[in-house]
Amino acid sequence: MAPVNTSRRRARRAPALSTLALGIGTTLLASCTAGEGTGLDANGRPPGESGAGQPPPAAGANDFRAIQDTILTPICTACHAGASAPLGLRLDSANSYAALVNVASVQVSSLRRVLPGDPGNSYLVQKMEGRAAVGSRMPLGGPPLTQASIDLVRAWIAAGARPPATAQAPQKLLVVSSTIPATGEIAVQAVREITVVFNDAVDASLVGIGGAVQLIDERTGAAVALQSISVQPGNATVLKLRTAAVLAPGSYELQLRGQGSPALASVDGHVLDGDADGRAGGDFSAAFLVVPAPASGGSP
Amino acid sequence: MTRSRRILASLVAVVGTIGLLSAPGTARAEPYLAVQMGFKCAQCHVNPTGGGLRNIFGNAWAQTQLATRRLGPEDDLWNGMLGKYLAIGGNLRGNYATTRVPDQATTNGFDLQEARIYLDAAVIPNRLSIYLDERVGPGNAQEQEANVRLWLREGSVYLKAGQFYLPFGWRLEDDNAYVRQLSGINMQTPDRGVEIGLEQGQWSAQLSVSNGTAGGPEVDDGKQISTRVEYVPGNWRIGASATVNNADAGDRTGLGLFGGLHWREFALLGEVDYFDDDGLGSNGRKLLASFVEANWRVRQGHNVKLSYEWFEPDRDVDEDEQTRTSLLYEWSPFEFVQARFGFRYFHGIPQNDLQNRSEAFVQLHGYF
Repeated sequence: MAPVNTSRRRARRAPALSTLALGIGTTLLASCTAGEGTGLDANGRPPGESGAGQPPPAAGANDFRAIQDTILTPICTACHAGASAPLGLRLDSANSYAALVNVASVQVSSLRRVLPGDPGNSYLVQKMEGRAAVGSRMPLGGPPLTQASIDLVRAWIAAGARPPATAQAPQKLLVVSSTIPATGEIAVQAVREITVVFNDAVDASLVGIGGAVQLIDERTGAAVALQSISVQPGNATVLKLRTAAVLAPGSYELQLRGQGSPALASVDGHVLDGDADGRAGGDFSAAFLVVPAPASGGSP
Repeated sequence: MTRSRRILASLVAVVGTIGLLSAPGTARAEPYLAVQMGFKCAQCHVNPTGGGLRNIFGNAWAQTQLATRRLGPEDDLWNGMLGKYLAIGGNLRGNYATTRVPDQATTNGFDLQEARIYLDAAVIPNRLSIYLDERVGPGNAQEQEANVRLWLREGSVYLKAGQFYLPFGWRLEDDNAYVRQLSGINMQTPDRGVEIGLEQGQWSAQLSVSNGTAGGPEVDDGKQISTRVEYVPGNWRIGASATVNNADAGDRTGLGLFGGLHWREFALLGEVDYFDDDGLGSNGRKLLASFVEANWRVRQGHNVKLSYEWFEPDRDVDEDEQTRTSLLYEWSPFEFVQARFGFRYFHGIPQNDLQNRSEAFVQLHGYF
């Protein structure tokens, strides 16, 4: 009989003990709350470590730092970090560039994760846009990246997927880091805005002077009517052109003058190196194509 | 509350809640179902470490005990067997989700989360099997698990070789749970290697040696060693996990404690994991994550799930912790179908909008 009594006692006691355990556990876990973020940057790191919240890239830098600080570090490294990163892909700031650029994808070995100059055939972009041949859209289980974030990655790749500024020799030149649409890009959406990103703050007083910034319709050879040309408030490395009307299908060329007068220059007086010869001077041009949007359906 | 007190509180919470037990159980699948039933993973799954293809018992139980009612004939259960040697199964999850991030436009849309097909060829019944877990959607097919399993002693000691999910903690359905993200061991990250396992009475244990690249190509001589031990006396259970990944990128060591208990219509699961990763940052980081989930079986076919997770991304940095709270209602109207309605609230540092987002979703889950 003794085992039976013991069993009954245990059965009577169990609900009370379980309830007590549940109460203790819930109370203690409820005290594990989110951090206040005091003294940390937007990525939850001590100031200066991750770069988030710092001023925009300085002279000689390009867009990869922005990609690292706004996409890779805060979002991707939730999984893609450390020795056990999925598929061996580590996207923390110390490893991301080397793991991405010109590295074959594990899931689709015929594609590079980042193919400089070709965002459409870069597996990183395909995964972010949810059109990769294998697996789910990234970030897995999280909200899709904003179109602005994807455009940032596309523009960086289209501009040659250059390494972060710290890996480059410092230069005293104003250069174009990227454009949207990018050189050679085939744009299918209704284009009314052209974005130019420089490596340094551009002198706003020069951009509006006739001929310094032009968008040429290659079919007619005439300049497209622009509604405005302006430096983005708060970020003088970004120049925006807004056309008077949606661009009709056709070929266009963006022209930025880096020689003669007026020539674009940084706020520090460094003239645009438009032809990328490492010396101040030379015009910049970027040609792109606008095609009609599909009548219905189409890729997202 | 200081960081160290939070860590201590988290540890005590999990240990406290899994250290007590109670009365008999009812029915369910996934880890909480095993806890409610007092089963080991191998009771319902072909794979002794759980997940994937269900065995004959698991199929029968899912059709007769999991759903509110049964549509098919009572005397003709699907058992997954295609003949004497080959078993097949599958899962498909389709979602509609809406996500709200502060200061951003709300996004929403339908999505095929995944579709999987499982195959197990028992070429020597009860001794030698070849197992495939193929993800067939979205996108092209991709193998998740592909291994051969040899029972050295029938039903008690096995050897597995090929590609498989590493043993560590609870094998949760939610790959984005903090404990699964932190460990890097979830249903998206199989690795290649060998595993030896023991299923003996109330004990279940595994030890694996793998590349440590989470499915990527091997890039160094280092290997990852992972182990998981679980004691399942019935209405409660407790287990411990450990993993060491020796890699040129930096060594990564993880320790975990997990457990569960069942009382009447409630099942409680808990896990706490600690990782020391030399490959993070310039000096390495120590990270901690905890998970507690309470399930209430309202009645057969209806389950309410409440979970609370806490993540400390760097023990050397204060005030950077994040939490994730989920409330789900799961309804299985009839066999092979489950509808899930859920809400998740993320809470992190105020300067990071993504850490303070909320999600609502509806999921239709079909399985066989």
